[in-house]
Amino acid sequence: QHGRVKVKTTAQQEEEKRKEREKKLQIYVAARDACFTKRKDGVFDDEALQLTQQLLSSNPDFATLWNYRREILLHLETVRNQDEVQKIYEAELSFLESCLKVNPKSYGSWHHRGWVSARLPRPDWARELSLCDRCLSLDDRNFHCWDYRRMVVKMSGVPVKQELDFTDRLIGSNFSNYSSWHYRSTLLPLLHPQAPDTPSQCGNPPPSASPQTHFHRVCEEQLLKEYELVQNAFFTDPNDQSAWFYYRWLLGRAERDEMISCVYVSREEERVAVAFSRPVNAQSVGLLLILDGQPQRVEWQSVHPHFKNSPVWICSLPPGTISDVANEHNLTVHWTEKHSHRDCALYTGRSESWCRDTATDLELFRSELSVEKTSVLQSELQSVRQLQELEPLNKWCLLTIILLMRALDPLGYEKETLAHFQTLKDVDSMRSAYYSDLCSKFMIENTILKMEYAEVRVFSISDRKLTTLCHLDQLLLVTHINLSSNQLQQLPPQFAMLQCLEVRIGTLFFLLFFINLNSEISTLADLQPLASCPKLKRLDLRGNPITQTTNAEAELAGLLPSVTDLLL
Amino acid sequence: LSKCVVTCFQEYTLSEYLRMSGIYWGLTVMDLMGQLQRMNRQEIIDFIKACQHECGGISASIGHDPHLLYTLSAVQILCLYDSLDAIDVEKVVDYVKGLQQEDGSFAGDKWGEIDTRFSFCAVATLALLGKMDTINVDKAVEFVLSCMNFDGGFGCRPGSESHAGQIYCCTGFLSLTGQLHQLNADLLGWWLCERQLPSGGLNGRPEKLPDVCYSWWVLASLKIIGRIHWIDKAKLRRFILACQDEETGGFADRPGDMVDPFHTLFGVAGLSLLGDEQIKAVNPVLCMPEDVLQRIGLQPDLLS
Repeated sequence: QHGRVKVKTTAQQEEEKRKEREKKLQIYVAARDACFTKRKDGVFDDEALQLTQQLLSSNPDFATLWNYRREILLHLETVRNQDEVQKIYEAELSFLESCLKVNPKSYGSWHHRGWVSARLPRPDWARELSLCDRCLSLDDRNFHCWDYRRMVVKMSGVPVKQELDFTDRLIGSNFSNYSSWHYRSTLLPLLHPQAPDTPSQCGNPPPSASPQTHFHRVCEEQLLKEYELVQNAFFTDPNDQSAWFYYRWLLGRAERDEMISCVYVSREEERVAVAFSRPVNAQSVGLLLILDGQPQRVEWQSVHPHFKNSPVWICSLPPGTISDVANEHNLTVHWTEKHSHRDCALYTGRSESWCRDTATDLELFRSELSVEKTSVLQSELQSVRQLQELEPLNKWCLLTIILLMRALDPLGYEKETLAHFQTLKDVDSMRSAYYSDLCSKFMIENTILKMEYAEVRVFSISDRKLTTLCHLDQLLLVTHINLSSNQLQQLPPQFAMLQCLEVRIGTLFFLLFFINLNSEISTLADLQPLASCPKLKRLDLRGNPITQTTNAEAELAGLLPSVTDLLL
Repeated sequence: LSKCVVTCFQEYTLSEYLRMSGIYWGLTVMDLMGQLQRMNRQEIIDFIKACQHECGGISASIGHDPHLLYTLSAVQILCLYDSLDAIDVEKVVDYVKGLQQEDGSFAGDKWGEIDTRFSFCAVATLALLGKMDTINVDKAVEFVLSCMNFDGGFGCRPGSESHAGQIYCCTGFLSLTGQLHQLNADLLGWWLCERQLPSGGLNGRPEKLPDVCYSWWVLASLKIIGRIHWIDKAKLRRFILACQDEETGGFADRPGDMVDPFHTLFGVAGLSLLGDEQIKAVNPVLCMPEDVLQRIGLQPDLLS
């Protein structure tokens, strides 16, 4: 029922049409009832094939009729010899071809074709592949046909290389072909996988790889060829999004290993916090805590009840185990499922301790782009900048430049990045909120990098027009945070990951508060995530509209009992 | 609009192969508009009863074969009417459970068509019945994740191209199974917000025409992953309203086209997600009024 234009009609036309429809409907109902009766009576004959064929040619979504046909065909398999069965199924394929010509997007017809092909005594997969070629030449975006093609390829063992060549041909005749680019993204890692442990070398394709193994890994040699192909595409038509989506994928293929990224222990609170490289459910992944050689029976808790899967988990140690400052303790947390562990020593006289890989160690925020050689990325940046000179307001180009700059030198290019974001918001205003959030994410990443280079536990990001907070799992050790003068509308529950937070400053509901949050109670409740920061003592909310709320102080004291120093 | 929905129920012989879903679309529109009482409750419940088969599955209409698509629609309708006891719930659960394959995927019916749409139908049906634990959820999740693509989206089967309708099914599936953290929400959200065209309407895949039903698939997906603000809501609202037919009140896929209950529901539900106050709040995962889900006690996860 898509794309049918509504036409104005006169009463007479309407009446004629109604009569015609009624006649057609009578024929339809008679055929349908005949089919249903035959099926009920267990009749599986040629006439039933005729009747269902008649109905399905104009109504291929009538799934029950396909089912009836399959029952008839299965019955015929038992009473006819193999040559006859072959003929019957070949006739079925011809019938299906005529159905697909009329309606190339019917789920029922395509599924039935796959079913028939799989039951054919002597299948002709070459014929099926050429049918796909023809169908895709009429509509190169028909996803039913693409899916059928993938089935044919799988069933008949068409070499991956041959399919990649096929996408070369399609892309060569029309760059703007998202389906072909998509297909390449599944084929490349199969044909040119990155050899394990040697990130830049090309390995041999594994004999039985499925598209999802090593999904993001393509060897470097092939990547360079792909960069060239995709550049040809976006230089030819810089506004075609297909090539840009594909390019962003090519650039951003690195994935983080699964590991314990940080273990933190607080003596006075007798509490351990563990951070992971991705959200997990610590209650089910087999997390084991060893204290001074003794396995501990502890209960792992997510930092916020809202998160069943969280990157940060905490547990309380039995009272008295580590409270004596004269004692030294050694902790190990094992993630048994991933064979990963991390040690942490709490020395005599120390009130807390931690052990971790920093974001700078891990090149964490570059890895959204690749671990590619700098020289390669530099030359990619150069090419895209050339295009930008010709197309200064092309949003795809601007966004790609930002991404490349971040992969190369996020802090060095910060100023330029901000300027490009401003242009992006102007030329693509429909998506300005996306660009604001992305820019906020990058500014937060830069602030984390700066904090880690400075080796401090103070996260200060004021007056940067932040619209969202992210990467809060990276702030587990932060003691002081300053978010003043931004455009944040709310604190996300992830704020609870700041387990060491002592002081928070800043205007939260600046600007947007007035538009979106007019209920005073809900605004106070929006501070709820802070209740999960156990050490928070000092909170500076000066300049926030919620300070105007009656009883703000009393209500905040109830909400955040640990805060002793509240500035309103 | 309400009149249009009533009219639609009188001319439907040719589409009887999807009647159960047609009823769900129509009734959900009526409930969202606060007009559910105008429909014939008993007649509909009797019809659903008559559509349940010995195997437990429910068909689109009488004489048709049972299928997960219509089993979900029927369960959704019965939830609107708070009448789940009209059918044999245990048998429905067995039917859904029996369609799970070894790799975790779900067939739509006994003929074996595999599609992530059916994974969604299965978990949505079971969630509404409070019986999620009867299937192998881990395996089901594994299969859906194996359909994730280079652009963060999902297709029908492993290797299939991303499509907004499938993305809705898969994000909804991951919400109901508590696995939304497995998504690359920033990447997927970017692809989704790029569906908005200069007309304000949304398409379902790159380089395609806008369509009102995608204002639902895309918008609901964005809502589920906490990024609905990444599109221009005012422009989308204007596009959806331009698709409403002045004579009948129903909605078409695009301005000037024929209206139908499918696009009418997704137009109205889209307006609800955009915050229209004349319409009840709709749940982005199940496309049902929030008050109905509150009654059931079902609150699917959403990313913040």
